[in-house]
Parts: sequence; structure tokens; C-alpha cells
Amino acid sequence: MSTVTSARPAAPSKLPATITFVAVAAVVIACAVALRADWLALLELPERIVTYARLLTEGFWANPFADPQRDWWAVAFDFMFDSLYIAWIGTLIGAILSVPFGFAAARNVAPQWLVWITRTVLNVIRAIPEFILAIVFLLPLFGFHPAAGALALGIGSVGTLGKLTSEALEDLKPGPVEALRATGASGIAVLRWGMLPQVMPEIISFWLYRFEVNIRAGAILGMLGLGGIGFLFDQLFNGREWARAGIALLVTVVVTIIVDQLSAAVRHRIIGAEQFTHREVF
Amino acid sequence: MTAPAAPARPRKPGPRPFFIVVGVVAVAMTVWSAIQIDFTLAPFFEGNPRAWGIVQQYLTPNWAFVAQVWPQWLETLLMAVIATFAGALLGLAFALMGSHTSNRAPWLLRVVRWILSVLRSLPEIGWAYLMVAMVGIGSLAGVLALVIFNMGIIAKLTSETIDAVDRGPLEAADAAGASTMQRIVVALLPQIWPGYFSYVLYVFEINLRASAIIGMVGAGGIGSVLNVERARFNYDNVSAIVVGFIIIVIVLDVVSQTLRKRLM
Repeated sequence: MSTVTSARPAAPSKLPATITFVAVAAVVIACAVALRADWLALLELPERIVTYARLLTEGFWANPFADPQRDWWAVAFDFMFDSLYIAWIGTLIGAILSVPFGFAAARNVAPQWLVWITRTVLNVIRAIPEFILAIVFLLPLFGFHPAAGALALGIGSVGTLGKLTSEALEDLKPGPVEALRATGASGIAVLRWGMLPQVMPEIISFWLYRFEVNIRAGAILGMLGLGGIGFLFDQLFNGREWARAGIALLVTVVVTIIVDQLSAAVRHRIIGAEQFTHREVF
Repeated sequence: MTAPAAPARPRKPGPRPFFIVVGVVAVAMTVWSAIQIDFTLAPFFEGNPRAWGIVQQYLTPNWAFVAQVWPQWLETLLMAVIATFAGALLGLAFALMGSHTSNRAPWLLRVVRWILSVLRSLPEIGWAYLMVAMVGIGSLAGVLALVIFNMGIIAKLTSETIDAVDRGPLEAADAAGASTMQRIVVALLPQIWPGYFSYVLYVFEINLRASAIIGMVGAGGIGSVLNVERARFNYDNVSAIVVGFIIIVIVLDVVSQTLRKRLM
């Protein structure tokens, strides 16, 4: 009878991981040296955070219904709601434009050459930040008008939404499409009754998700003068009006979180809990 | 025996109340928003003679300027690298604290999740304004703003990945009496590395874009150049920077997506 004394297997070497980590750390340190930022200011950071936290929160404790503060809160909400309006209209523009782009970029819908062209266009759009669209095309044309902001967000959204729509289409179940083809349905009828109903829930939840993204993306457009909360930030921080800036920040955080929660609730309701985690929405 | 009567065609189901409500709300919000922001497409059709002059300046980019501001390009790149690294480390720590799979203290979980949703609710430019106020104009403010911004994204995505890991190895670690830390290192981290690294790459990608934005408010990098040239109406310089910027972003996109595909 033999005793069961199998040797414990040797642990796999950690050397490659360690070398990689050291190399990355070295690169980052080199970058930090090359950047020549005022790194010593970091030592004072905790103290500064305390100071500014006190300055920024001053407005919170004052009676919001007394005179100057009432105005401060009202203005902050006004600008934040403008941001929501701009983001909503922008998302809608992006949503409407992205449907044809999405269909044209799906391999199982459009011919190869069209897919290639559409995807290239979508990739280029995704590479251009919204604010560049705004300063290059829309500001000269519209002047400082919130519609320019909404259009910038809309065009910016087409890239992501079109890509996601085409991926959703490529993943659809072939059954209903084949059934329709078998009945001799026309191409449009196949799109409308075989494909659209399958992908619509997912597409609508992309739209909502993009709305959440656009609320944040719109802030930079406000700073350029196209309306919304970014404009207020610019005024208050440049004017060093900390109490008012604090109120504006608080309003932004609270409104954004509430809208995110609502939008997430609707998305869950539409497509169930699984969400679109398998897709690269990030 | 008579043939059975053909069954009546089933009634078409009516729309569900939930969708009616959502639809009505969506239409109402659209109309209300459009009125509030005074939405119009008229300038597209009317045109604007001044705009044409500006667009022409954009069509003749001053290429020499792209090379002339190379220190700012470099600054942007360095900021992105540093911020990605710091944001990735902090983001991982927050992700581990923000998932009930790895964090078994409910109160800490709630606090961390609350912090993360506040972090993510402010746009990057909001952080940039705050950091410029605190540490002054310059690249340090930019790096700090990007770090916070990255941390929020990485923590969110990674904690979702952590929620979805296979429970088997975790149960095995528990059965062997592992501590919380040992359990994380041995059973959890190996499962999330591929997702985590692809999020880090993704964040690096968006950092270049974000750094152009935060530069506009004085946080250093190429964005600052863009803002100055725009304010001086040097549209040919702006145009050259914009084209250079888009090319860099596309190239990085392609590289990073190839890497991410290999990771996933």
C-alpha cells in the first residue's frame, strides 16, 4: 500500500506579472517627472480640500427661501433644466439619425460596400468630440444658440448609437426574418416586421443611456456659451463665487442622479435586468 | 359532420399601459424642451455669410502650428498616462469595495456606492473647474480632474464585472477559510483581469478626448491651446489642431480596440 503523498505542485511563476508591473510603474514615474506639474502642491491638497469644501458648502446652510439664496437656487435649477432640455433634444436628433445609419452598418441588412462606408463614417463621428463639432460648424452658423448645442450632441450621438444599433441587428434571431421571407414579404416589410420589433427594446435603452451621457457631455457646450449648466459653472468659478458655485454643483449632482435612476428604471423595465452588458457600450 | 368553423382571428393585443405612459411623457418632454431652448434649424437653410468666411478659414489649416505646439501635445499625452494609471488603481480599490461579491460589510458598500454615483454625476469639466480652483491653473489640476473622472468609470464598470464572476472559486476560498483579502486575491482578481484591463485601455482612450475638454478651462494640455486660439479667432490654427487631434484619436482607437479584442 502506498501512501498518498503527492508533492504539492509548484506555484506558477509570478515573474512576468512583476516585471510588467515594474515596467508600467517606471513609465508612469517617467511621465510624472516629464510633466513638470507642480507635484508639491499635492501636499497642500488636503488642507485646500477642507478650505474649499467649507467655502462651497456655505450656501447650503443658509435659508434657501431668504433673498439672495432663493435666486441662487432658482438660477442653478434653471440652467440645469436647460441642460436636460438640450440633452433630450440632442439625444432625439441622434436617435432619429442613428436608425438608418444602424441599418446601413449591419452586415445582415446592407450590402458589403455600404456597411464599410457607413462604419467608416460612424468611426470618424465617434472620434470627434461634441465640442469640436460645436466650435467648428455650429457656432459660426447658429451663434450662441442652444439649438447649436443640441445639434452638436445629436451628431455626436450618431456614432455610438449607430454602432450599437448595427450590433443589435447583427445579433437578432433569424427565425422571424426567415418566416417573413418565406411568405414573400418585401424588403421593407422584413425590416419593419421581422427585424425592428426584435431590436427596438434594446435600441430604446441605448437611447436612454445616451441621454444620460449627453447630460454630462452638454456641460462643455455650456462653457462655450451654448446654454446649460456649463455656462453657469464658467460664470461662478471664474467669478470665484464659491457659495453659488457650491449650490450649482449640488443641483447638478442631485438632478443628474435622479435622472439616471429614472432612466435606469425605465431601461430595466424595457429590456429586463440583463441590460446590454455583453455589448461595448462603455 | 360539419367542418369546424375557422377560428376567429385573435384580437390584436393593445399596447400596454406602461408604454402608453412612457410614450406620452416622451412626446410631452420633447415638445416642452424644444420650446424651452427655442429649437430651430433655420440657420441651415438661411445660411449666414459670416459663417461661410469662418468655414473657409477652417478649410485652410495652418499645418505648421501643429508641430509648433508639440510641448502641449506631449503634456496631454503625459496627463492621460498618469491619470489612467492613478485612476485605474483607485478605481480597482473602489470597485472591490463597491460590489457585494467582494465587500461583505453592507454599510461600507452603501457608502462607497453613494460616493461613486456622486463622482460619476459630475461631468469632467465640473471636476476641472473645482481642481483649477483648488490647485490653480496648470496640468496638475488637469491630472487630478482626470483621475477622479477615470476612477468613477473604472469603478463602475469593474464592479459590474465583479458582480458577474463565477461563484465557484469564491466558495472554494470560503470553504478553505480564506480571509476577505485572500479571497479577493486568489479567487476574484484572476477572473476580472481581462475585463479590467480592457476598461483601463478604454479610459486611456477617452482621456485624450477629455483632456482636450478640461484644457478649455485652464487645466493644461492641448485644450488650453485650442481655447486660446479660438478666443483669438485664429481659425486656421484651430483647424490644424482639430484635424491632428481627430487623427490621433482614431489611431489610438484602432490600436486600443485591437488590444481590447485580444484581452476579452
